[in-house]
Amino acid sequence: MISTSHVVRRVSGERAFRAATLSALALLSLFFTGIVVSLAAYTDWDTLFSTLVSREILFAIKLSVVTATITTLLSVTIAIPVAYAISQTEFPGKSIVDTILDLPIVISPIALGAALLVFFNTPIGAGIENNVLRFVFEVPGIVLAQFTVVSALAVRLLKSTFDSIDPRYEQVGRTLGCSKLRVFFRVTFPLARNGLITSGILTWARALGEFGATVTLVGATEMKTETLPIAIFLSLAGADIEKAVAVIFILITIAAVALITLRKISGKAYPI
Amino acid sequence: MKKMLFCLVMALFFFILVGSVRAADKRIAAFCGSASKPAMEQAAKAFEKERGIRVDLHFSGSGTMLSQMKMAHRGDLYIPGTPDYMLKAEREGVVDPKTVKIIAYLVMSIDVQRGNPKNIRTLSDLAGPGIRVGIGNPEAVCVGLYAVEVLEQNGLLKQVQKNIVTNAPSCSATAALLVMKKVDAIMGWRVFSKWRPDKIDAVFLKPDEVPRLAYIPAAISTYSNDKENAQKFIDFLTSPEGQKIFARWGYIATEKEARKFAPRAEIGGEYHLPEAYNALLGK
Repeated sequence: MISTSHVVRRVSGERAFRAATLSALALLSLFFTGIVVSLAAYTDWDTLFSTLVSREILFAIKLSVVTATITTLLSVTIAIPVAYAISQTEFPGKSIVDTILDLPIVISPIALGAALLVFFNTPIGAGIENNVLRFVFEVPGIVLAQFTVVSALAVRLLKSTFDSIDPRYEQVGRTLGCSKLRVFFRVTFPLARNGLITSGILTWARALGEFGATVTLVGATEMKTETLPIAIFLSLAGADIEKAVAVIFILITIAAVALITLRKISGKAYPI
Repeated sequence: MKKMLFCLVMALFFFILVGSVRAADKRIAAFCGSASKPAMEQAAKAFEKERGIRVDLHFSGSGTMLSQMKMAHRGDLYIPGTPDYMLKAEREGVVDPKTVKIIAYLVMSIDVQRGNPKNIRTLSDLAGPGIRVGIGNPEAVCVGLYAVEVLEQNGLLKQVQKNIVTNAPSCSATAALLVMKKVDAIMGWRVFSKWRPDKIDAVFLKPDEVPRLAYIPAAISTYSNDKENAQKFIDFLTSPEGQKIFARWGYIATEKEARKFAPRAEIGGEYHLPEAYNALLGK
């Protein structure tokens, strides 16, 4: 039998634990809200509005949205087979491959951008530039820089999705006479639906915010390679803080809309 | 045992942290445009050795540095690459106008790959077919703004604009375009060729092609808590010893010497991007 004091102690212990975790949650949320709200100190409503409708920023919004969307489509398309292979197959040296795929997530984007820039100085890179497609200083370079930074994230997110799917579903499908391909599209793919949407939206949002690799590979040319983060950088570089803050708000709004959409579509918190 | 090891490591970290803060009690922070980078770094080292005052140097575009000072309300010295940003800083009350001193002069030149493989001799050569030109972003980088002014004043803006393949995000990034062999020519400062003589050659402009001479100014910030030591660093930069360091890196010390390159040029002041430039960009 459990004594009353024991129960009381357990309840108060639970309360303390609950209070501790909730206050940590409150603190962190307040911190993020606080730094965004503090931007208001430099918000000038006229600047905000005139910035939003200026041709330069409209161009930046369009460029950012288009490149991030292309990057996401490419990343997810490639990440699906890659993540499936890593999640479901065993092969020698898998941990090495796994580590290589994780590296771009932790390496500073500016380092990846510099590496890309150097790559296009090699004979192979120069050959691609001269005969296939120009990347350095050009719009395709924005997609390449974003892809280099975010594709590994798409793989990581999708891998955890595939990991969470019980392989028995596939086995059952196989015993019912489906081919491997058919099982993948009829069983695994629908089960991975939420994970796919989640990784797609997070990859998109991350690509939209990419700065370091992009500016290193394509420079900061107005009306050509000026994405939203580069517009923020250029406004700060021109000592125009009000304009920078206006663009920051645009970026935050787009990111927030993306995340809200994500929650609406997937219907639950994302699996990471 | 594990706990003890953990404590030991933490204690070590703590001492390293405290030690590194203690090492330099007297320290000031200077926010510099990267146009002065190599010479400023050497000057700060010499100053610390001589006076025991550490100068923490921050380098980026002159405007970026001004933004950071304004947003954080920090910094003892502001040393942009050109007077344009100093005027802006004065207007916005970031620096004390009475403390502005000229450290060195800068002259525009066409900078090309070492050995000038594309044989670029004049400004109009930049408009030649297939020449790839880079400039700093004129809205954000002083060397880019001066580039547009030179091209406009010489009636070449439209012709050269079609060859401009990129805008670099800072002064040093503009020079890096040549070092990385990404363009055939940049509109840069003459000193760039002294930074990397193994990679960059300077093609001088004709004296009457230069509409404006730039200079690197330094001033004490209104946010400074240590105006006395900040003044000491400005004094050091303008002293014969400081000037020698700047001369060694190819900067021009006096107006008289700078005048040799552009006798009729204006000095300092502000230049605003012409409407024609925005029209060319389709803005």
